[in-house]
Amino acid sequence: MISFVLNGQTVQVSAAPDTPLLWVIRDHLKLKGSKFGCGMGLCGACSMLVDGESTRTCVLPLVAVAGRQVTTIEGIGNPGMLSTLQSAWVEASVPQCGYCQSGQLVSATALLSKNSNPSDEEIDNAMSGNICRCGTYPRIKKAIKQAAMDLKQGDGRLQAVAYFDPATLNTEV
Amino acid sequence: MTTSTSKNAKGIGTSRRNFIKNISLAGAGLVVGLPLTACVNASLPNKNQLALTPNALLQITNDSTINFYLPRSEMGQGTYTGLTTIVAEELDVHPSSINVMNASVHDDYTNPDYGFQVTGGSNSIRTHFLPLRHLAANARLVIRQAAAQQLNVSLTDVQTENGNIVVSGKALPYGDFADSANNLAFPEHAPLKDKSQFKYMGKNAPRLDGLSKSTGTAEFGIDVDFDGLYRAALKRCPVHGGKVKSFDDSAVRAMPGVKSVVKIHNGVAVIADYYYQAKNALVNLQVEWDLPETLAAFSSDSTASDNGKALFKTALDSNESSNAYEQGDGLGALNNAVKVIEAEYWAPYLAHATMEPMNCTARLTGKHLELWVGSQSPDLAKLTAAYYADVPKGNVTVNSTFLGGGFGRRVNTDFVAEAAAIAKESGVPVQLVWSREDDMKHDFYRPAAMVKFSVGLNSDGLIDSWVVKRAGPQIMPYTMDDLVDGMMPSFLPNAMVDGLSKAGYSLYQSLLVDHASVEGLYEDYDAPHKSSGHVTVDPGLPIGPWRSVGHSYSGFFKESMMDEVAALHNKDTVEFRLQHLKNNPKLANTLRVAAEKAGWNKPLPKGHYHGVASHASFSSFVTQIAEVSVKNNQLHIHNVVCVIDCGLAVNPDIVKAQMQSGIIYGLSAALHGEITLKGGVVQQSNFHDYPALRINESPNIDVVIIDSDDAPTGVGEPGLPPIAAAVANGIFAATGQRLRSLPLKLES
Repeated sequence: MISFVLNGQTVQVSAAPDTPLLWVIRDHLKLKGSKFGCGMGLCGACSMLVDGESTRTCVLPLVAVAGRQVTTIEGIGNPGMLSTLQSAWVEASVPQCGYCQSGQLVSATALLSKNSNPSDEEIDNAMSGNICRCGTYPRIKKAIKQAAMDLKQGDGRLQAVAYFDPATLNTEV
Repeated sequence: MTTSTSKNAKGIGTSRRNFIKNISLAGAGLVVGLPLTACVNASLPNKNQLALTPNALLQITNDSTINFYLPRSEMGQGTYTGLTTIVAEELDVHPSSINVMNASVHDDYTNPDYGFQVTGGSNSIRTHFLPLRHLAANARLVIRQAAAQQLNVSLTDVQTENGNIVVSGKALPYGDFADSANNLAFPEHAPLKDKSQFKYMGKNAPRLDGLSKSTGTAEFGIDVDFDGLYRAALKRCPVHGGKVKSFDDSAVRAMPGVKSVVKIHNGVAVIADYYYQAKNALVNLQVEWDLPETLAAFSSDSTASDNGKALFKTALDSNESSNAYEQGDGLGALNNAVKVIEAEYWAPYLAHATMEPMNCTARLTGKHLELWVGSQSPDLAKLTAAYYADVPKGNVTVNSTFLGGGFGRRVNTDFVAEAAAIAKESGVPVQLVWSREDDMKHDFYRPAAMVKFSVGLNSDGLIDSWVVKRAGPQIMPYTMDDLVDGMMPSFLPNAMVDGLSKAGYSLYQSLLVDHASVEGLYEDYDAPHKSSGHVTVDPGLPIGPWRSVGHSYSGFFKESMMDEVAALHNKDTVEFRLQHLKNNPKLANTLRVAAEKAGWNKPLPKGHYHGVASHASFSSFVTQIAEVSVKNNQLHIHNVVCVIDCGLAVNPDIVKAQMQSGIIYGLSAALHGEITLKGGVVQQSNFHDYPALRINESPNIDVVIIDSDDAPTGVGEPGLPPIAAAVANGIFAATGQRLRSLPLKLES
């Protein structure tokens, strides 16, 4: 059994230690917000926060997160309680097909947690690991800047969900 | 599948689960379809979300829930928001108060332009614009009629306001009149709103699927899950069309989680508890293949001396040519020309590389098959699955999900066929998931194309004759081969169906020109004489529709050639185009507006140059001007001005998003995209060797939408065709290099 903290709650998983974290989250823990895109850490669709860093989990073995903090898109916010970035995403109509957007939001959350006022170049550097085939990049930039402004004014939050219980999704852990 | 919508950008909307609960409770009410099915009633199966075969588009329940069954597939292009906005406008409700559901399969969801339930050709808004308005306007009228009767007032005293009937200042929700409206004859000719009355159409509004897609709660095919579902991974022949000669699964069966190994029509599948187990096990599966001879003999990578182009070049230079278009005497007029300018262009095979790899979930229970799939052609998926699972066509239920990108790839149903076959052979419910490598190596690719232009000029320096010949494979035979299995009557033996689909291929190969092969090569500019020829040459790699189809290469070819002709006698390339757009006023207008917006012929920062391209496709007109620089042999694209005339923009912000999208998807292809083969095996496998444009390469994009009262036209595809030429023409302005092959590679 390997245990780690998922969206604020300690979980124990019996999957093989070399199982990529993405599949543990998606298929064992049934949180489907994080996506499979390439299996090689090239596209960023599977990004999750591991101890606050945006991490490609399709190539990250389960054992590597033992005892660590993992946050998925479900731990950042939900439709009834959005993070400031998610609000900016909705307002700017960032998503198109939407498949890559969980990963985009995870990387953007990691960026703003370290840099409250990123320049265009800093956004490029932080977000260039996340591919979007629909070409939502201009809106991603716009939404990150909007969220940075909203956060500066003090009424925003990088994570809307302090505690997320996967059991509320009615699934087995 | 269901998705909640929210009018509140801060997300205080109905949660997904509450929403499902709400519509499950929805009881009787008014159910209306297209005029043809207007007399249906509330006993239809779409009265709740669990409905299997809804046979109508719109439902208003007696608790005032308004359900709209989205007849087209949402794959990013915005049709979910666009079509809902059209309904909302005439029904007089706020778009975000409508519950939108991805439709299953039903005749009412047929695409009127094509006769089957397909999403493609950028026609969703265009083709549904009037029918959906009439549907919603008629529904609003019948509710007013019911209210007039119920409240005993005259119809003219019954007004509506955002989902409410308003009589003498008192508001009552539509649902209060749904049951009695259901007993009235459904109207057929309710008047439509005038443009001046529009509350929602023509105005910017956030996407209705933005909330679910910003919270990871939108359901894609790959997210489908239920108790007892197994995962499958499939080993296919590396050369398309190969068959399993033999296989050895002895090293596989004992691997963790492996449930079974089954052979199907095109490969061997491993079924396991979890996907990563199935995928890992495939590595140890030994398969011997019978290879198809033609494709296995074809190479186009660096090991081939001709890069695979000799096949195309030989065909292009041959006398063989099927006439695709003739106006005047194109070839004859070349003899009288003062000057003839000739050039050849090339575009490679391309993969679609949707972000969500192909997948399909199939559950066979006795003779009933249930599918969960994100498809651009759900009814064809249904027919294909029936064939491969060997069940009657009427016994297949399709549950549609959001599509994690389509771009034409999900029109084909090969992955549905595989899932159905695996479910049948294994006897368990399975979700087939393709790896990125599967996706890159087993696509229906954008066809490669080689063209030769011969442009004759008259003594005024204007174009007298425009002659173009294209050599390359044609899409239609592959589409027929992919789809015909399911479309043939079920009494025909399978072997005969296979034979018929192959017959279609050779028919096209030798006799017919698929319009998609030559579209966009000759239409836009005025010339007294035009001729377009075609010669089919095909190494055997499967091909299919790829965002903007033939226009994806013809936009580059035609607009680069136009630039060449103008540059050859030092004519201003914008002015030269305008001289040949007298019969194409909308395209001319986009060009003028773009030139003004970009500051054409005005000073640019040092080392920056403009390139321009104009192209009409899918009934829309687009001009793009790229601002580029080349430093140390490195290309930089600083800015793109894009002007589109697409008639009325139902949601201008989504039109803008689609221009950004088409440009960025097109730039991936223009700068990076190339599929090559070695011995028939596709050499690219993932995003390291088939790169997609990343945020740091993405230019600033300024979009202008021409104000128009005309009916809406396409937006999903028309933004793509001009971009490669706009950049290439900018490179010419900057360096003098005329790049005639894609992807664009600067000469060192």
